[in-house]
Amino acid sequence: MKKILLLCLGYFSLYARVISGSVPLASQDMAPRNGGDLLVSSELVQNILNYQQWGELFTYLQVHWFRVLFFGITIGVLVVFLLHYLVIGPKKFSHEGKGIFVYSIFKRIVHWTAALAFVLIVPTGFMMIFGKELGGGDLVLTARYIHSVGTVLFIVSFIPMFLMWFVPMLPTFDDIKWFLMLGGYLTKKKVVVPAGQFNAGQKMWFWVALLGGFVMIFTGGMMYFQDLHLAVLDRFNLAQIDIIRISAIAHNFLGMAVTALFITHMYMSLFAIKGSLDSMLDGHKSEDEVKYMHSSFYKKLKKEGKI
Amino acid sequence: MSYARMKFYCDEARCIECDGCSVACAEAHELPVGISRRKVVTLNEGIEGKEFSVSVACMHCTDAPCEQVCPVDCFYIREDGIVLHDKETCIGCGYCLYACPFGAPQFPKDGAFGTRGVMDKCTMCAGGPEETNSAKERELYGQNRIAEGKVPACAAMCSTKALIVGDEQEVSKIYRERVMSRGKGVQSAPYGWSTAYGN
Repeated sequence: MKKILLLCLGYFSLYARVISGSVPLASQDMAPRNGGDLLVSSELVQNILNYQQWGELFTYLQVHWFRVLFFGITIGVLVVFLLHYLVIGPKKFSHEGKGIFVYSIFKRIVHWTAALAFVLIVPTGFMMIFGKELGGGDLVLTARYIHSVGTVLFIVSFIPMFLMWFVPMLPTFDDIKWFLMLGGYLTKKKVVVPAGQFNAGQKMWFWVALLGGFVMIFTGGMMYFQDLHLAVLDRFNLAQIDIIRISAIAHNFLGMAVTALFITHMYMSLFAIKGSLDSMLDGHKSEDEVKYMHSSFYKKLKKEGKI
Repeated sequence: MSYARMKFYCDEARCIECDGCSVACAEAHELPVGISRRKVVTLNEGIEGKEFSVSVACMHCTDAPCEQVCPVDCFYIREDGIVLHDKETCIGCGYCLYACPFGAPQFPKDGAFGTRGVMDKCTMCAGGPEETNSAKERELYGQNRIAEGKVPACAAMCSTKALIVGDEQEVSKIYRERVMSRGKGVQSAPYGWSTAYGN
C-alpha cells in the first residue's frame, strides 16, 4: 500500500513538472540534427543521381588501376634496388672509433615505435589489396584489424617525431645538389655528398611519412568509422559517401608513395650503406660515414668543436 | 533453358512511406539493430506536389560494381541476376559500399571494440552460398524465400503494391500499364533502372 502511494506521488510530481514545463516533452524540432546513420537519409536518392561524380571514378580506379599500380611500383622499386646492389654495390665506411652520437634514446624509441607501426601497416595493407590471391576470409579480415592497430601506434609516434625532427628536416640548398647527383648512389667511388644531418632522400621520406601519414590517418579514419561527421568538411558540400570515396582514392595513391619510400628506407638502412643501422641501435654513427654522406653536418660539427 | 532476370521496382507514385518493407525485411531475416537492408527515403519533404518516397535496397545490378571492386572476390551473380556474396570470404573493407550507387551494403559494428564486421545486404530473399535452407544459411543470410517459391518479404507485404519484384518482363509490363493508366508525363524507365540495369 505504501509502495503504491509512493508510486502515485511520483507520477503526480512528474505530471506536475510536465505541466509546469520543467520536463521537456519530445517534439519534432528537438530531434537531433545529425541523428542516426548519415549514410541512410534522403541523401541516399540524391547520391544515386550523383554517382557518376565519385562513385564511378572510385570503381574505375579500383577495377583497373590500384592493384596494377601497387604491384608495378613494388616490383619496380625492388628490381631497381636489386640491380643497384649487384651493379654498384653497397657503400662501406670505416667503423673505427666511437662514432658521433646522433640519436638520443628518446629519438630511438620514437623511431622504433613508428617502425613497428609501419611493419604492421604496410604488409597488412598489401594483404588487403591482394586479398583475392590470399582467398579472403579470416586471414585477410585479421590483417584489416591489424592495419587499424598499427595506426594507433603510428598516431602515438606521430607528434614526437614531428617535433623532434621538424627543424633538421626543413629543405636547404644542399638538397638540390643532392638530387642532381642522386645522393652519390650512382657511383662506386666514395664521394662527398652535400647534406646536413639529413639528406634530401631522408627528408622526402620524412615529409611523405608525416604529412602523407596525417592524410592517411584522416582518410583511413573516415573509412574506418564510415559515419563520422566532421563539421569542417561541411564547407565542401559533399555527401558522406563521396567523402569516403575520395578518402579511399587518396588513401590508395598515398599508399603507393609510402610503400615505395618505405622499401627505399629499408634498403638504404639495411643494405645500401653497411652498418648504417647501428646509429638507430646504439645512437652512434660512424665518423667516416658522416664525413662523406652528411658533409655539411660534419663541417658544422667540426666548426663547433664537437668532434 | 533460359532463366528469369529478377528486378526490383518501386513505384514512387504509390509508396506511402509506411516503412513496412524495411520492417518486414528486418523481421523476416532477424536483422540486428543498425542493419537496414531496405530503407524508405523521402525526397523534397514538405514541398507540395513534389514530395515522394521510394524504397531502396540492393538493386542487383547487371554490371554490379560491388562485384567488380571487391578485393577478395566474395560476390557472385546468379543466373537469374541476383547478386549475392560469401560472408566467410568477405573482410568488411567497405569497398562495395563506395562502389554502390544505391548505398546497399551494410556493416554491423559487432566486433570487439565496436570494430566493423563483414558486409550484409539484401539477398532478394535468396540466401547465400551455403546449403539451401540450412541453419547456417539462415543464420548468415536470412530466409531463402526464392528457393521456397515465395516472393521476397518486402514486396510480399507492400500494402499499396508500390514495391514489385520479379522477372523483368513481368515487372516491365506492370510498369507500362501503370504509366499508361496514369496518362500523364513521359517516363521511360523507373527510378534507378538506368543505373542498375543499363538500357
